[in-house]
Amino acid sequence: MDALVHQILVAVSMGLIGAVVFAGIGLISGTDETTTLAPLTLLVALLGVPPAGVFTFFMAGAVAKHMTHAIPTALLGIPGDTLAAPLLQQATMLRNLGVPHIALRKMISGGIIAAFVAVPLAVLFAVLLAPFGPSISKAAPWVFLAAAVAIAYFSSGRWASVLLLVPFVLVIVGLQALTGKYGVKLSVSYFLGIAIGPLIADLFSILSPADRAVMRRDKVKTFSLAPDVKSWSGYFPNPLKVLDRQQRNWTIATAAVSSATFVFSPVAMTVVMGELVGSRVKHAYHRLTTVIAARNGVTEATYIAETLIPLIAFGLPLSPVAAGPAAPLFNAPPRFFVDTATGQMNNLHTLMTSWEFLGYGLLSVVLAALIAYPFSMNYAHRAASFVARRLSHEAIIATFAGLIVVISVWEGQLLGFLVIVTIGLLGGLLSRRFGFNTGVQFMGYYAAVLSVPALTKLIT
Amino acid sequence: MKHSALDADEALRSTSVGTSTDVDARVSHLVEVWGDTVDIRHLAWSVVLGVGISLGAFFSANYFLALFVHDAAMTRAYAMLLGLAGCLIAGAVCAKLFKPKRVVVDQASDTARREEVLDQLAAEAGGLGFVADLPLPVATEMKELGLYDVFLKHEQRIEASKRALDEGRVFIETKTSKESS
Repeated sequence: MDALVHQILVAVSMGLIGAVVFAGIGLISGTDETTTLAPLTLLVALLGVPPAGVFTFFMAGAVAKHMTHAIPTALLGIPGDTLAAPLLQQATMLRNLGVPHIALRKMISGGIIAAFVAVPLAVLFAVLLAPFGPSISKAAPWVFLAAAVAIAYFSSGRWASVLLLVPFVLVIVGLQALTGKYGVKLSVSYFLGIAIGPLIADLFSILSPADRAVMRRDKVKTFSLAPDVKSWSGYFPNPLKVLDRQQRNWTIATAAVSSATFVFSPVAMTVVMGELVGSRVKHAYHRLTTVIAARNGVTEATYIAETLIPLIAFGLPLSPVAAGPAAPLFNAPPRFFVDTATGQMNNLHTLMTSWEFLGYGLLSVVLAALIAYPFSMNYAHRAASFVARRLSHEAIIATFAGLIVVISVWEGQLLGFLVIVTIGLLGGLLSRRFGFNTGVQFMGYYAAVLSVPALTKLIT
Repeated sequence: MKHSALDADEALRSTSVGTSTDVDARVSHLVEVWGDTVDIRHLAWSVVLGVGISLGAFFSANYFLALFVHDAAMTRAYAMLLGLAGCLIAGAVCAKLFKPKRVVVDQASDTARREEVLDQLAAEAGGLGFVADLPLPVATEMKELGLYDVFLKHEQRIEASKRALDEGRVFIETKTSKESS
């Protein structure tokens, strides 16, 4: 009993830390989930926090970030992170109609409702899929290969992305062989390099006079900040009352559907579901507000499902989210690891039960809602204004430059650093040039690690 | 349409307040990196500071912790924690040293922009729709926001222009049928 109380206390405090930290990070536009959630979750895992604490930290952080990312999206017209990009169109229209606060409130309420729907449903789907877990784990090399090809085809690069998997995987295999010669085994460096690739590619471009000419600007960007409008009495409005019945139903329905799908990219799901809802609502204003609520709900639900289903059912990172931002929940050597060669596994999949995932999952959503919701309702304008006026892009780049160096040197000294720069540059350029996006690259990494050994065994 | 775009521009200029101005001096050094504008000299410094401060924190933590803590795994983890803290410190230092290269304008929407959005919405697949079809709670919400009448007026205008178009067509049709008979 005492052990349980202790575990819950740890989970609550880790969840609160995660919610506060990521509610803050959500305000800074351009901070990708993988570059922020993955290293911090890895850190928490390596510091020896109990499994429930690691899980609650990640989940509360992800949910809180997806609430506050609505703030720059609604008030400044710049997407808070990768997942906020599909919300931008509706948010901008509502802003130009003079009701940015409505965009913000609908988005966040949609997110909260969807999160509460997605956690139990994702756990349920995972439990239903679990009997197939062992056979899927056995077939993992081929499942990853198929998933990589499918996700590549659905990226904006289409067939180019599918074919690009070959050279990309080859480079990773080559780099692994190189570091292996010196007894260095890297994993975090690869996916951090992939996630931060666009920055690395830009930093290289800026050194080349030819590219620099293209990147020159003769004036700074202008952002217009929408005014603060508070139209409710009390500390914050009831999230259930912010949405009308139809919006609640659409949000719940789309969240439920997207909780079941876990191999597609969250951005793609968000776009598709938004179109579906939009075609069913007659009036234009109602369409805007319903679509924006449902879309933010879908981003939240897909994110939760893509983390929970692979975690509970397989213990293998079989989705774009699980392979990227949630990767440390599966793989945080030496503490958590998956060894497909021997079938040995020691990560949250083996350390927590389905009921614990459900309980701590809901706890995370409650904590994130308690922190991020009142904050967004009361301080959105001030926070957006502070970030836009005080936080220079140089400061953000300095932080991330430090992050890549520290994590890569931590993992593999000089070799780690060389690998992160190589993979970041390659990934960033391929993504810029061919639409071979980071989701595909994550799957490419796993294909290199899991499918390639199986393939070579087949051939030789 | 062109007229309304001009209006929007003018309105934007007139509502612009709180513009930060210390920008012109370094115009020639501006580049766009990773989605936002930076000064190339500041960028170089921030990369140097980011790498220097965070690596410095990481290596010194590694060195000093090893003297006191004998669990190698824990030393490694705490060194990483301090290295990440170093990243944040580097960020804070650069935020203090280098001001943002953006102009932030406090701006409320105006009628010109509203009209533009309404035109955009009317051109979309689903069209503007009719306020009369709205469920009561939505209509109340729109009235509270002052948007109900805006949408109603626009919808009436579209209907009126459609009717005018139809009448014109009917007129032409009757005329041509008379001529042919």
